[in-house]
Amino acid sequence: MAETSAPKIEEIRAELAKFPSSVLEEFEKALLKMPDNLTEPQLADWAGAGRDLAQKTVRSWEASAQYFKVSPSVLGFMPLNYFFKWTDCGQALCAESPTLAAAFFEASPGTMSKLRSRHIESWSGLGRSLYKGTWKSSTLACKFFQSSPVLLEHLSFPELERFASFLDSLSHRSYDLASECLTLGQGIFPLIGEDRAAFISLASTLVETGWREVKSFFEAGSRALPRVESGQRLRFLKMAEQLVKNGGTNIPGVMLEISKALSQIEPHQHAHILGLGEALMVHSALAVPEFIKACPQALEKVTMSQLEKWFSEGVGILEQNQDGGLAYFKMESARSEEILEGLSSGVEYGRIKDVMEMYCRAMAGADIKLAEAVDLVEKNIGWVSNEAPSTEGTTVFVPSLVDKYGSKSDNFSWYKVVSTHQVAHIEFGSFIFDFDTPSIFFTDRRQELEQQKVQMPEGSRQEMPEVDSESVEHAWVTDAQRFFDLFEDRKLALDIYTVVEDARLDARVKVEYPGIRLGYDLIQTSSLHERPEITDMPVREALVEFLVRLSLNQYNGIPAPEQFVDEAKEVGRIMQQVLRPEATIQDTAEASLRIYAIIAQIPNEEVPTEDWEDVDMDDTQNEEYQDPDDMEQLLQQISMGMEMEMRPDSEQEYDSTENVEFRGDFKPELVQMLTELRRQQKEGGSTDGEPISQEQLEELLKNSAELELQATQGELQESSNMMANNLMKEAGLDMPQSPEYGKGPLVHVDEDGGALEANEPQTFVYDEWDFRADDYKPRWCIVRQKTMAEGDPTYYSSTLTNYGGLVTQIRRQFEMMVPENFQKVRKLEDGEEIDIDDLIEAVVDRKTGASPSDKFYWRRNKVQRDVAVAFLLDTSASTAEAIDDAKKSPDDWDAPDDPVEYMVWLRTRRGEAMRRSYKRIIDVEKEAIVLLINALEAIGDLYGIYGFSGYGRENVEFYTIKDLDENFSERVKKRIDRVAPLHATRMGPAIRHTTYKLDKQDARTKLMFLISDGRPQDRGYSREGVEKEYAVHDTKMALDEAKAKGIQSFALTVDKNGHDYLKNMCDDMGYEVLDDIYELPSRLLYLYKKLTM
Amino acid sequence: MTQSTTTLFRSYLIEEYHLTEEPYYKPVGDEIELFEAAYKQKIPLIFKGPTGCGKTRFVEYMSYRLGQTLTKVKQTGDDGAPRAGNIPLVTIACHEDLTSSDLVGRYLLEGDSTVWIDGPLTRAVKVGGICYLDEIVEARKDTTVLIHPLTDHRRILPVEKKGELLEAAEGFLLILSYNPGYQSALKDLKHSTRQRFVSIEFDYPPRDIEAEIVEHESGVDKDMAMQLAKLGEKVRNLREHGLGEGASTRLLIYAGKLISQGIAPRRACQVAVNWAVTDDPSVQKSIEELIGSIFE
Repeated sequence: MAETSAPKIEEIRAELAKFPSSVLEEFEKALLKMPDNLTEPQLADWAGAGRDLAQKTVRSWEASAQYFKVSPSVLGFMPLNYFFKWTDCGQALCAESPTLAAAFFEASPGTMSKLRSRHIESWSGLGRSLYKGTWKSSTLACKFFQSSPVLLEHLSFPELERFASFLDSLSHRSYDLASECLTLGQGIFPLIGEDRAAFISLASTLVETGWREVKSFFEAGSRALPRVESGQRLRFLKMAEQLVKNGGTNIPGVMLEISKALSQIEPHQHAHILGLGEALMVHSALAVPEFIKACPQALEKVTMSQLEKWFSEGVGILEQNQDGGLAYFKMESARSEEILEGLSSGVEYGRIKDVMEMYCRAMAGADIKLAEAVDLVEKNIGWVSNEAPSTEGTTVFVPSLVDKYGSKSDNFSWYKVVSTHQVAHIEFGSFIFDFDTPSIFFTDRRQELEQQKVQMPEGSRQEMPEVDSESVEHAWVTDAQRFFDLFEDRKLALDIYTVVEDARLDARVKVEYPGIRLGYDLIQTSSLHERPEITDMPVREALVEFLVRLSLNQYNGIPAPEQFVDEAKEVGRIMQQVLRPEATIQDTAEASLRIYAIIAQIPNEEVPTEDWEDVDMDDTQNEEYQDPDDMEQLLQQISMGMEMEMRPDSEQEYDSTENVEFRGDFKPELVQMLTELRRQQKEGGSTDGEPISQEQLEELLKNSAELELQATQGELQESSNMMANNLMKEAGLDMPQSPEYGKGPLVHVDEDGGALEANEPQTFVYDEWDFRADDYKPRWCIVRQKTMAEGDPTYYSSTLTNYGGLVTQIRRQFEMMVPENFQKVRKLEDGEEIDIDDLIEAVVDRKTGASPSDKFYWRRNKVQRDVAVAFLLDTSASTAEAIDDAKKSPDDWDAPDDPVEYMVWLRTRRGEAMRRSYKRIIDVEKEAIVLLINALEAIGDLYGIYGFSGYGRENVEFYTIKDLDENFSERVKKRIDRVAPLHATRMGPAIRHTTYKLDKQDARTKLMFLISDGRPQDRGYSREGVEKEYAVHDTKMALDEAKAKGIQSFALTVDKNGHDYLKNMCDDMGYEVLDDIYELPSRLLYLYKKLTM
Repeated sequence: MTQSTTTLFRSYLIEEYHLTEEPYYKPVGDEIELFEAAYKQKIPLIFKGPTGCGKTRFVEYMSYRLGQTLTKVKQTGDDGAPRAGNIPLVTIACHEDLTSSDLVGRYLLEGDSTVWIDGPLTRAVKVGGICYLDEIVEARKDTTVLIHPLTDHRRILPVEKKGELLEAAEGFLLILSYNPGYQSALKDLKHSTRQRFVSIEFDYPPRDIEAEIVEHESGVDKDMAMQLAKLGEKVRNLREHGLGEGASTRLLIYAGKLISQGIAPRRACQVAVNWAVTDDPSVQKSIEELIGSIFE
């Protein structure tokens, strides 16, 4: 058989040689690898097929070469009959396009390993179907073949078919896009696992609705899906598909946002959230992404079941009002926040700040502030815990959120107890420790010990040069430091001191404030349950823990090491001394001294579990305490220092026990230091002795056990150095400034950015009314209050000169208003005096028999003029209009939205203005103001003049030209000169701020004059950027708010089209549209007079 | 048939009102000595101090006390026995519509003729009583100048409508009171007025004394009085921080009276102290918490 076929193969070989050499080379190589069990004819068929391929068209030899190259390996995957079917497929493809065939062959070995043999034809058909005879389609089809091995690794064949059909339909729109999706697909399918089918189906849907998004959909998919819990990815995709079907836009972006939100939620909650989202889909598809985006924030405050309540509330609103519901789920509605807050059991710092701060002030009787613990940590002056409550002498720091208990009132009660404890430090003098003041219940031993310590330099002290008592006097800066200098183990001393002092305060608070006792007890008890296991501790720690438990009201069954039960009882008894209400911080110190003496002499060793005994403490605080005989000796040992050689090897280093959470951080040394620094700062240096130097400060910081400066020597130096600097700075500041201070003025906030915060001084946050949602957008605008810069004072006087006659006339008119204040009211039944005319008339009546009137008294009624008025001047860029141009419709004025374009636009406008010599609207406004001031000064009304403009909701600029409480001065004159047009008109917040200012005034009549040149508008001061009514409604709401506060408003505009919106905006309030801008000054004065009479 | 109706109310002529029982007053400083010295030297006085700290009570106490000690103005009672405690006390609450006629007097019509009626100040001047003008800053400025001639060495009161000059009787003393706390710059005493007086400053008493006062006036026990005084002290810490005025001793006494009538302490303090001192909900909440801490 070999003989017969051999020539045939030779024949073919000869034919193949006519093609480029690679064909023959590949043939020869493949021939060697072909399996041995092939019959000659079969081999000949194979070779012939290759030859046929090569002969098909000009370039088909490449396909042929590929065919030969892959044949051996392809044959390894399938039986021979399929192999020839495969060959046929290749032949068929080659007939269409040799390149396609080449790609097909090339991809085959990789593909065949994952493809069932019966699918070969279909597979080639998929590639074939993508080929439309064009160059681009062939590239795509080739690429499809090339990608197939990778794709098939994660897709089943039916899925591949769907993917191919997706590509096909996409290719009708764009081949490039299809090709890119193909590439992306290789990356994404491994990520999405089981949900490929859904993904492909969603992609196909997208092709129908918005094929341009498909690519970003693929990109988004690869980033979004891993964030979703794996079991929920299908749902996630289905939801996205629903959104598409419901007309959602920018689906890729939405997917990213939703998945990002989900990634911030516990994976096990994803199913629940998505379920709610699906339910919401029925009501409003648009609200779904908003809802999910809001979830992480909401879940910080509430539990899942509470979230459902919030959700169903929102659905209710959605049903009535689409926009309202949307704003609700965006958390851009006050109602939404309220409901969430109502549902949440946690108590946030922000909600209780005002109440608790005032509470603390009342308790401490000092100017105490309340702040978040985070702020204290940020100061970097020694406090490190973000959670632990503390105080540094003038401010009480509390955690930002308390969510320990199931109900709001319990959490609030926790806040209250915590604040009370911190205030107690201040109220009951934790920080006024004085080394020389005697204690009440103990024999004072402090001084004695200090003396001994100086006289007996020993151990580490020997390294230091000889010290005389003089220099020792200066070794400490504060009394607390002086006290702690007595101890070798400062950490142990501090821990004991802290427990004893906290116990003293708790006891004292309960006596002084019986009302809080119950809450206190509850929290003490729950703290007791959170204590670590005492039997795991080495002896010294166990004894400190023993005291902690005792201080938390555990009297019975406190475990103590068997061997040291007597010591435990003794320290307990000492501590109980300070629980009496008369005890002072000096008692704490003396008690600590004794407890330290007892505990320090016990080796800090582990105690086997069986060697513990429960100790019962009786209430011994009322027994007079007498130092036992051996106390003297024990105390001596403190001053001698530890005898290191006597310590057993098994001893461990002492480590602090856990803090009692509600008591927080207690840092007596630091606080005294800070207080001392502050005092020096206030008194401008040294009243007694030298001011504290940086070196002394660093020394304290290094030694103090209150800081956890565990670092190498170099770093220790550095951090104590920095901290000392911070402390100095802290003391220099009278009140703690918000740390965010210094944020740039033009921070761009995205319109969808949600609520804002006023972090800087002179900024104010106001809500904004969203009339579609029928609710306020909470904390939406920031008003930045600035004082107008000063210019040339001659502007004022020259304006007055220009108006000459009018000025005197106006002034006279206004002066005439004053005497009208004292009106003589006649014909009263009772009054100051008898009016002789009326009396005569009455007497005459009587004589003539008519019935006389008994109303013949008069009284001077004091009609006290008590007016406060604020003029609010629109200084937006539109006031730069030349007056002659003012005929132009103001709607032509449209600032570009893009900030860069805007600046260019603004510059050109300003340039124009510079070239102008004619009057602008603003000029007339300014002149009116000058005349007004002149007139108002004559009658002595309280008045303020403000300008406003701004760019965007985070930059509403509010310029003070003259503040309400400010006196008229040269500076005010100078400021008027500098009033210039700038930016846009966001009226609402400016009105609200003016309302706020007027509301603080104590006047009978309060007026707000709004002088503008057109409708309110600003970037983002509309819904979806188109609805101008939004601005009008917000302005109206702001005016209504003012009215509710008893402030009368009047709007004056020079916009001739003003009637249409002013009618809505001002409703029942007064407004006037000026036909002639030049009338503004005189008209303004006339109106003012009329309104305030 | 009946000869006389039962008098359902007691009515005095202004100048005949004087205290018959010793009012309770607990001195905090040397105010009694100062008052006595000023009275002897006929130096008019201004009492400055927040509302409800005991200014009026002090005047009452002093008028009684001086009546007891000064033998000079002894009179004989109805029963012929010498009666002490008879320095008349004329109290005038000032308001912004108080005119000079309201103080000095005016003509009234009676039948066909007019009758002159002395005003309270004139009466006090005539009988030599203590005239106490409460909250003087409330009165109009043109009214306050009226008292100028009475306050210097002249001690005269011009009654222009009658064309008279009244010389003040021996025991006459003018006392003003005002509360520097809440007045704005608008309502300040003119220097020409205030510099005619010696000023005694009053403030709420320290906790111990206040507790004693509350205990005496309201009838609560010592502990409760102490707690009330503590509350007062704490609420006063909020002055200038949300409260215009702290809780007065008077309010604490009211609270104590309610408590001794069986009202629960927290509730009593809520109505008598918290709601009385402020309308601001957040301040109310703070004080609520304070009350909750102090009282069980």
